[in-house]
Amino acid sequence: MRIRVSHTTRYCYDTPPASVTQILRLTPRNHDGQYVVGWRIELSEDCLLHKHEDAFGNITHSFTAEGPYNELSIAVDGEVETHDTNSVVRGAVERFPPNLFLRDTALTQPDAAIIDLANSARGSEGGKTLPLLHTLTTVLNREIIFDSDPTHTATTAAEAFRLRRGVCQDLTHIFIAAARHLNIPTRYVGGHFYRADGVTAQDAGHAWAESYVEHLGWVGFDPANGIGTTQAHVRVSVGLDYLGAAPVRGVHYGGGSETLKVAVQVDQADRQTQS
Amino acid sequence: MLSRTADNLYWLSRYVERAEFLARILEATQRLTTLPLTYVGTSNEWESAVATAGCASAFFSVYHEANEKNVTDFLAFSTTNQTSIRGCFELARSNARAVRTALTVEMWDAINGTWLELKRYGNGPNSREEFSRFLRWVQESSLRYDGSAYRTMLRNDAYWFSRIGVYVERADNTARILDVKYHLLLPEKERVGGPLDYFQWAAILRSVSALTAYHWVYRDSLKPWLVADLLILKDEMPRSLAACYEAIVRNLEALAGLYGRQGPAQRQARGIRTRLQNSRMDGIFQRGLHEFIGEFIAENNRLGSTISEQFLR
Repeated sequence: MRIRVSHTTRYCYDTPPASVTQILRLTPRNHDGQYVVGWRIELSEDCLLHKHEDAFGNITHSFTAEGPYNELSIAVDGEVETHDTNSVVRGAVERFPPNLFLRDTALTQPDAAIIDLANSARGSEGGKTLPLLHTLTTVLNREIIFDSDPTHTATTAAEAFRLRRGVCQDLTHIFIAAARHLNIPTRYVGGHFYRADGVTAQDAGHAWAESYVEHLGWVGFDPANGIGTTQAHVRVSVGLDYLGAAPVRGVHYGGGSETLKVAVQVDQADRQTQS
Repeated sequence: MLSRTADNLYWLSRYVERAEFLARILEATQRLTTLPLTYVGTSNEWESAVATAGCASAFFSVYHEANEKNVTDFLAFSTTNQTSIRGCFELARSNARAVRTALTVEMWDAINGTWLELKRYGNGPNSREEFSRFLRWVQESSLRYDGSAYRTMLRNDAYWFSRIGVYVERADNTARILDVKYHLLLPEKERVGGPLDYFQWAAILRSVSALTAYHWVYRDSLKPWLVADLLILKDEMPRSLAACYEAIVRNLEALAGLYGRQGPAQRQARGIRTRLQNSRMDGIFQRGLHEFIGEFIAENNRLGSTISEQFLR
């Protein structure tokens, strides 16, 4: 499937800042199921965009844009060719042994409720890793209502699970917390999802989790959609949690408060058929 | 476009590229043999040249000993060896003649002129000096063909097929040249990283016109893993495996765009490109450079047959 992604992140400042420094994780890399045909990042201000790689192997771009200005926008436009690999992610950049992804972070600390959830999933599947993770995905998808109101970027897994509400990021955090509690290395994946229902304009990127299954490797689970990852998923960055894989992080010097608007467009670029 | 036409264009480019590669191997071997024998001890450069060209078994079915005369004859002028330099130019010209109308005048002139001039060299030169001139001439002929294709061809499927031929062949050749070092024996008393080792690596880099590039990129003395890094993973090095695959993928993409459909060749090429992008040198050396190259050559050949299957039949 050829997926076209274009999104804009726009910051508006009450009082113009003196300068803004940001690090972007917006550029996908290739693996067996995904090939980046073209990718471009454009900033509204003139500045140097340095390309690096972080510890997980994500491609990062960092920049400092000198102010003052009232608005700063980051536009990304690209095309990715994907094909289905039954959710298994092979040939991706791996900088660490899988066990690193057993590490808990503040956002993925399990509480008693999540531990219960994890244990009951293990109980129902007799301890087999793969079915267990599928059960976890389905249960989370059923139990948690998709709602972007009550949670925000710093909501922890435990808080979201208590509310039984959240967005893809929260579902992923809960999934990670539960899986790590069961000693399954699991990581956070940020990316994009092409919706089969024809809705192309989205408010944000997508997020899901990957777990390491013995003899199989990394397998993608998307609790927000209740499925394993498919060719509709474009994998951009990985990390221990949202903060590690965040698309944009940064600081601004001077100026007042900022407001942030994100618009994502994920569409199929269907000029080709597969033979 | 008829698949037969595509096939001719693809192989035309491959043969010209291969002729150049053979000239480069012979030149590198000549250079390696200039070290005094007392200094090197026993030497097997000519044997390694045959192994690198990938025709050791064919060679030893005709000759018993790999020495300068036999090897230069076999790789450059032989008519029994179909893919000697002469054989390559003859095959290239017959492919070109079959698709004369798909070529520009400049390309045809380059290939036909080369073929005519080849006769001047008869069955081989009389002196080493003349042979060196011959090798330069082969490389210049390939440059002329490549340049005229690049400058004069219409950017359509004919151009893309001919480019894919160039890059599939070039990737194979770079991998093989890098493997020379595996076939060359380092005499027991020589240490790795010693003067002879250094000289051999320099000859390899020189043979792909990359010695200056190496110093530009690394600003360091010659180190095996850096040489391998340059010729395998560096995008900015035009003969590196990564750069060749970048070009293969791009040209296959262009074909897919034009024909409105894609197939196994595109997917396979993208897969190889991805693996090259995601590899790092320490990982490759841990598994063994020779093994990596062997796998790559096999994979590159598989892509070659997939391309044939998908487009050229």
